[in-house]
Amino acid sequence: MKLKLKNVFLAYFLVSIAGLLYALVQLGQPCDRRPPLRGGAEQLRQKELRISQLQADLRRPPPAPAQPPEPEALPTIYVVTPPYARLVQKAELVRVAPTLSLVPRLHWLLVEDAEGPTPLVSGLLAASGLLFTHLAVVTPQAQRLRGGEPGWGRPRAVEQRNRELDWLRGGGGAVGGEKDPPPPGTRGVVYFADDDNTYSRELFEEMRWTRGVSVWPVGLVGGLRFQGPRVQDGRVVGFHTAWEPNRPFPVDMGGFAVALSLLLAKPSARFDATAPRGHLESSLLSRLVDPKDLEPRAANCTRVLVWHTRTGEPEMKQEAQLERQGRGSDPAVEV
Amino acid sequence: MGWRAAPAAPCLACPAHSRAFLPTAAAAQLTRSCGPSQPWRCRSGGTSSRLCSSCSPGRCWSPCGTRAPSRPCSPRARMTVVTPGARRPLARTPGSTACLTGTSWRCRPVQKAELTRLANTLLHVPNLHWLVVEDAPRRTPLTARLLRDTGLNYTHLHVETPRNYKLRGDARDPRIPRGTMQRNLALRWLREAFPRNSSQPGVVYFADDDNTYSLELFEEMRSTRRVSVWPVAFVGGLRYEAPRVNGAGKVVGWKTVFDPHRPFAIDMAGFAVNLRLILQRSQAYFKLRGVKGGYQESSLLRELVTLSDLEPKAANCTKILVWHTRTEKPVLVNEGKKGFTDPTVEI
Repeated sequence: MKLKLKNVFLAYFLVSIAGLLYALVQLGQPCDRRPPLRGGAEQLRQKELRISQLQADLRRPPPAPAQPPEPEALPTIYVVTPPYARLVQKAELVRVAPTLSLVPRLHWLLVEDAEGPTPLVSGLLAASGLLFTHLAVVTPQAQRLRGGEPGWGRPRAVEQRNRELDWLRGGGGAVGGEKDPPPPGTRGVVYFADDDNTYSRELFEEMRWTRGVSVWPVGLVGGLRFQGPRVQDGRVVGFHTAWEPNRPFPVDMGGFAVALSLLLAKPSARFDATAPRGHLESSLLSRLVDPKDLEPRAANCTRVLVWHTRTGEPEMKQEAQLERQGRGSDPAVEV
Repeated sequence: MGWRAAPAAPCLACPAHSRAFLPTAAAAQLTRSCGPSQPWRCRSGGTSSRLCSSCSPGRCWSPCGTRAPSRPCSPRARMTVVTPGARRPLARTPGSTACLTGTSWRCRPVQKAELTRLANTLLHVPNLHWLVVEDAPRRTPLTARLLRDTGLNYTHLHVETPRNYKLRGDARDPRIPRGTMQRNLALRWLREAFPRNSSQPGVVYFADDDNTYSLELFEEMRSTRRVSVWPVAFVGGLRYEAPRVNGAGKVVGWKTVFDPHRPFAIDMAGFAVNLRLILQRSQAYFKLRGVKGGYQESSLLRELVTLSDLEPKAANCTKILVWHTRTEKPVLVNEGKKGFTDPTVEI
């Protein structure tokens, strides 16, 4: 059979076209078609594994939150308050007691400026539910305010605070409550808290672990919104105060706490009744610590957790008028 | 939000700017009064979005309660905050009566201290709900934060006393009923939170932030059936004021020197009202206008009860369980004009 040339060319053309089309189809296809298929399956398997892990985590109970230490393991905070007789005395103690009651492991040391324990303070302490020690010592005549002297003319409650320090050091003399001083080795911190200041609960936890002397700002004192240490790199480098900034320790009585161990190690450290105005705190602290060793609290002394509030003297004009008429309020009603 | 002059109210001269305006009613929420001499916001033309409460040139500070107060507010400064209608169910022990204590706040340097020590007292009272009503155009962050951190069950409200009724001059001027709008808001909140015929047992007590309250007082008032009363120390120029109780245990008068003929010669801290009575007498509020000094309590109580219905507490009104103490205004002389302390430290 004779093969026509045109049929040969036609066949050649068709085969070439087919080959060209095949080549065009192959363009753009991934070279390694089989590995992505394997990778996709692997990814899917990995994701399924992760989902089952997460589901198992959800079914597992959450870890218990860190428990606060048992109260018995906490250092004791000894709060020294020197109340004195005045119209608002009971109100002030009634107002500060609930705050102290919120603080675990707290021992309230009250030392009255009186010959002996007064029924008002004794009754209040008994009803407070707090662990307390009740002492009483009269301010010596030389330390009392003279007639016409302003209230800030002399340092107040020096004798009372020193008596508390003596009790802590084993001196005895308690007239009510817990009479035995803390046994040797007791972990604790001592804080001097006047009854008219305002204390947050947080303040007491800040001071609890004091190793030497800790400090923090005090609000509404020294003619300022707040007064307190200046801290740099976690160390006290100065004090933020406008009144007598050159004092060795220009802090308020409510602005520091002292470790009990330090007080016991330095038995001669006491408040000095002859200290000039504003230097009472320094008279004690300068015998205990160097300013550079102070431990800043309250977020490096940037938070105010205690305020030097002062209660106004109640207006008694009508009472005086009635008393002149022999019709004063029933004195048997304790206010 | 734009500002315009309120035609019915006076505009104040402002040295640094051309005009000073009272805000529109809608914009009243944004204003505050801080500063001793320029209680109103100034504008220098156009809409001002800066809350400047001093009109003196070169001096401007943020109001109390904002993020960066640059000076303390004067005693006349007030803050009011309104909660978004939150109605919390009272947490109560089955069978016990809830105490609802209303406290009205105003901005001053001792605000946080007062709030802190009152909260520390209230924490000891079981089944208590604290209604705090600020005299301010909005809830202040300071108060909101404090309330949240106390752990108490509370509701935080605010309403600003209009300028006409704000304190002028002596803060102790008895002619001006401080806190009236705030207490009325608390009463309104209670009436909206509870249906008129609610069987929810509760007692309502108005507690100012600077008084001193014994824990025993709250237990005394818990058994109130209608209105209970007791003595208050350090009011009326006396050691204490007290209801006069006869041998039958009925209140027959008042032991007071200041205006003893008042229908109810008693201090705000000297009585509590049963919640049901508040709900039943839905029109009983403290009177805002035309109230003589010392008559604010009477303006409410006469709508609720008669003298013979009063229930004496505290051992037939012979024990002092609440003291009308006053916290002295702190002396901040060393802050100076520019402020000495870091204004970002909250006190």
